[in-house]
Amino acid sequence: MVKVMVYPPTSMILADLVERMGHEALVVSKEVRKKVNTIGLDSPPLNMTPEDPKKGLKYAAVDVPSGVRGRMALFGPMIEEANAAIVIKGNSCTLGCTGCARTNELTRFLLRTKRIPILELDYPTDDAEAKRFVHKIRQFLEGLK
Amino acid sequence: MRVTKYVVTSQDSDVLPSDIAMKIYESGHEINIKETCFGVIIDGEEDDIKETVNEIRAIDPNNIFIKDRGFPPGDSRRCRGYRGGGARPGFYMIEYESKILPLISQGLASDELDEEISVPEEKKRPSVERIEELIKEEFS
Amino acid sequence: MIRIAQLSCGSEYSGVQTELQKAVDSVGAELIYPEVSLEDVQDVEKRFGIEVASGDLNLAMARATRIVENPDIADAVFVATCFRCAEGAIVRSEIRKYIHENSSIPVLSYSFTERTTAETLLTRMEALVTTAKYKGLLSRERQTGLTAGIDSGSTTTKSVVMRDNEIIGTGWGPTTEVLKSAEDAYNAALKEAGVKKEEIEGLGTTGYGRHLVGKHFGAKLILEEITVNSKGAVFLADAQKGSATVIDIGGMDNKAISVQDGIPGTFTMGGICAGASGRFLELSARRLGVNITELGQLAMKGDQTKVPMNSYCIVFGTQSLVNSLSAGSKPEDVAMAACHSVAEQVFEQQLQEIEVKEPVIMVGGTSLIEGLPKAMEQLLGIKVIVPHHAQYIGCVGASLLVSGLLED
Repeated sequence: MVKVMVYPPTSMILADLVERMGHEALVVSKEVRKKVNTIGLDSPPLNMTPEDPKKGLKYAAVDVPSGVRGRMALFGPMIEEANAAIVIKGNSCTLGCTGCARTNELTRFLLRTKRIPILELDYPTDDAEAKRFVHKIRQFLEGLK
Repeated sequence: MRVTKYVVTSQDSDVLPSDIAMKIYESGHEINIKETCFGVIIDGEEDDIKETVNEIRAIDPNNIFIKDRGFPPGDSRRCRGYRGGGARPGFYMIEYESKILPLISQGLASDELDEEISVPEEKKRPSVERIEELIKEEFS
Repeated sequence: MIRIAQLSCGSEYSGVQTELQKAVDSVGAELIYPEVSLEDVQDVEKRFGIEVASGDLNLAMARATRIVENPDIADAVFVATCFRCAEGAIVRSEIRKYIHENSSIPVLSYSFTERTTAETLLTRMEALVTTAKYKGLLSRERQTGLTAGIDSGSTTTKSVVMRDNEIIGTGWGPTTEVLKSAEDAYNAALKEAGVKKEEIEGLGTTGYGRHLVGKHFGAKLILEEITVNSKGAVFLADAQKGSATVIDIGGMDNKAISVQDGIPGTFTMGGICAGASGRFLELSARRLGVNITELGQLAMKGDQTKVPMNSYCIVFGTQSLVNSLSAGSKPEDVAMAACHSVAEQVFEQQLQEIEVKEPVIMVGGTSLIEGLPKAMEQLLGIKVIVPHHAQYIGCVGASLLVSGLLED
């Protein structure tokens, strides 16, 4: 069982495919869950505070906008834990936690330079592509065991 | 820790949210179920949810997809009833991926049957000479 | 309740959403997130004209198009992105222009950092809500009856008494102890007007000390200085029809406001930077050994190009001036360089955020320092008007607006 980070870390499709193959999917909703269930914190909606952009300094310098550093505070722990990754290239629906292009670029960069097994592919747009998509992911996940 | 997950059915699926709800009631685990337009939101203790998820997926493995949710169901920090009508950003991602689910379902089905995978045709760029030809044709 | 639509990117992740909510709550308004569909976001290039790489900015632009299509869904708009994000700044500016040109909904634009607090936003939020809530009152063009205004500023306290659309008494003094300074200025204005406090039908207060002073005197109107000053400015400059731009460089901060038909609209307020306010001119005058009231005349004889300024900052800027004097620069050139430095900073920051339309009206105590409006004229390439009683715009605006409440 391997910890596989999915990108976008909000993807239901990737997370589901990872988990049905018996691995653990690293998704941002698990980080959000930790935050919103933290007792004593009351900073709606996500219980993120000015401390989070400070934590994000680990990944981006102080002159990088606070929204990037704050999002990296969520993604950073996932990237560090990941032993493998599946990345969707190209455009997808990136809003909210994935709503900042600079954060997304940095995340993909950090995953690629981590020297872990990584599979990059596009969302399928037709039958044939869908078959290839699922097949490649299954092969990749089996190869991790 | 309490954990919340979405159970989303592909549009081509015959499985109804009520079928999923029934399966959960049958399992006997203490899990809350809320039906939504996409399927069902389930919420309960981590271990209960872990056990139930595999049973739910088994109802129709190629057409049921499970996603984690950070917030508990109906949380006012995210519920559109408290936001002046607008959905939380995560909603759009589910909507976006739901549209692709039928393709993924077919991909899973074909993978199960070990069907042959076609190699995509490589698109070739036309040469400069060919473009010149086309320009001459169009503008003659 | 005024509904403010939030069109933003990054506020939740910067940990400042709670502060934004606090600021909105304290002005009695509510934050809403207008409904858009996934297609609206995916088609944003067609709907709005640009699609950028960051999804949340596309979502903000999609919301802007929905608001313009259905102006009933929001009373005001707050556009906010992270400080230092270029994509965010461009989109923010375009959203502000888009809503301004396609609706009459007031827009507040702001770039936050993780250190932004509710206090920083308070005056701006108040002004936004005032512009949305009091459109009727703000369209008032004449002062009627016998009313007065007190402007309790950070550096000076001013007061006027008005009757039948004319100023009949003024009072002015440095702000030391807030209430005492207000009493002194008010009494001076009443004395000049030849009326007693009890005869005044309505009092309006503005400025930093407006709540304290307003409560003390039982004021009928307590309003922030962004709307009040701009109202006073267009009244005094007789520019209540058509467009106008008001530049108010005060003792401690600065503001720029776009006014249309006498009603303040888009505005920006500079952060607390002494280098872009009267504070810098005060320090410069002291260093030159002249009274602040003489600095202007001195500057009019000078040429700022002869004095290199390395920084807008009051500390480093003053150092530049001192170095120049030591190197033999003439005092009049140094005086004009100081004026130019303040004007340039306001020009580069505030005046890029609003549409500058003629007439350009400069107000506040600093507008009486002749070198400053001259420097602003040179930078804008447009004539700058300094109306009579330019330092009293706050109390004139308050006096004018409170007379509107009396009729109701």
